[in-house]
Amino acid sequence: MTDKTPTSGGLTLPSKQLMSCGDITCELLVDPIPRPASEPIKVTLKPKLSRVVLVDHLKPNSMAILKLTQTILRERGVEVDDQILVKEDASRPMPAAMLDSLSQEGGLVLCGISD
Amino acid sequence: MAYETLQDIENCMNNGWSDGLPVIPPYGSLVDEMLSAMGWQASDVIGEIPDQNIVIRAEKAAATAVMAGCKTEYGPLLKSLSLALLDPKFNISGVEVTTGGAAVLVIVSGPIVKQLGFEHGANALGANNRANATVGRFAQMMRYFCGSGGGVLVSHGTVGHPGRLSFCIAEHPTTEWEPYHTQHGLPATASAVSIMSAEGPNSCNNHYGETGASILDTIGDCMNHYGQTAWYYRSGGFVVVIPPDHMALVKEQFSREQAAQYIYDQARRQTDDLTNVGRIAKQPIPYAEVEDHSMRSPLKSVDQLSFIECGGEGGRFSAVIPRWVGSQQVVCRPIE
Repeated sequence: MTDKTPTSGGLTLPSKQLMSCGDITCELLVDPIPRPASEPIKVTLKPKLSRVVLVDHLKPNSMAILKLTQTILRERGVEVDDQILVKEDASRPMPAAMLDSLSQEGGLVLCGISD
Repeated sequence: MAYETLQDIENCMNNGWSDGLPVIPPYGSLVDEMLSAMGWQASDVIGEIPDQNIVIRAEKAAATAVMAGCKTEYGPLLKSLSLALLDPKFNISGVEVTTGGAAVLVIVSGPIVKQLGFEHGANALGANNRANATVGRFAQMMRYFCGSGGGVLVSHGTVGHPGRLSFCIAEHPTTEWEPYHTQHGLPATASAVSIMSAEGPNSCNNHYGETGASILDTIGDCMNHYGQTAWYYRSGGFVVVIPPDHMALVKEQFSREQAAQYIYDQARRQTDDLTNVGRIAKQPIPYAEVEDHSMRSPLKSVDQLSFIECGGEGGRFSAVIPRWVGSQQVVCRPIE
């Protein structure tokens, strides 16, 4: 018995429940994978608004690349926020407040760009 | 019954409950025994990843230990190891998803090495021994199961390394210098488990050097190659593995602290060369503390270097294990 769950990104999540069945009875196997208490954040691949928000994660050349991106996109008529947000550590998860704020953004969020 | 068990193994592997190798199915009776050995109740909270809204309960660790093939007698060690893996300082999700392809390096030291039958001699970095193989596998499975946000995060490791399946090293029970864990604040008499995120080991061969300095120079040179991640923007540190034949020379000339200082002082590379070859950004970030025209160490400070004594006699090899630059802290816990 399985309940593999496909996600919007095409990723197949590990099953939440597996059973071992003999001739007469079945028993649940113990799920080894901790799950988020609420539904994981959903990534929307097509932005609702034609706008770009840039996030620097402080790796080498990240800011330089993002500034260039800002210039090129504007030349092409795309609205780009003036402020380039900063995530303090590339190797750690985004702080909850920043994630909450960006999850409300209707435009495209561009983060994790460096060399 | 045997066929049903094989079906259960296949079922686990086909549904995301595996590291890619066959697992022992986590039957409730086996998980209960492992929980008891670890000294936990199934619902005990043993860790949290608040940013992902994930709470980790003890039954997850116990199920993983069963699946990895661990014996219940490893319970106290696995308890300490679980708490180390879920310590926020370790950054388990970062280790799981990074392009750096890091693994969890587990170091076991102290009397527990002999008590549980860890291999610490021949092939110490990849021993075909149950304790090493399954404890190392447990750590990687915990990384994979707990670090992937319930399965929604995908690892972006560019090349990774074989240690992502199992990577556990045990130190000799009797050491020339003090035991490994004394470098992280525990008393020499303790048994301990230490973890860090790490790249794969680099072998350092020196069969003809006649002094401790020549051995340390060889080790330092191994830390200094152009491809070393440490140059990128910050160092994660290094673990130096010294087997007996190299140690026989090094200990005649150096204490552990002197050896670390020697490597820190001597193992350096011209900053401009690193920039020219593309290993340092032309506009480096402040954290990288790049000084043009200076000799640069792959270490930010001498305390990023630690030593472990293990490996067989009869071969003049050492090894250097670069730690991942994104999770610079070693988490070291006593085993009680």
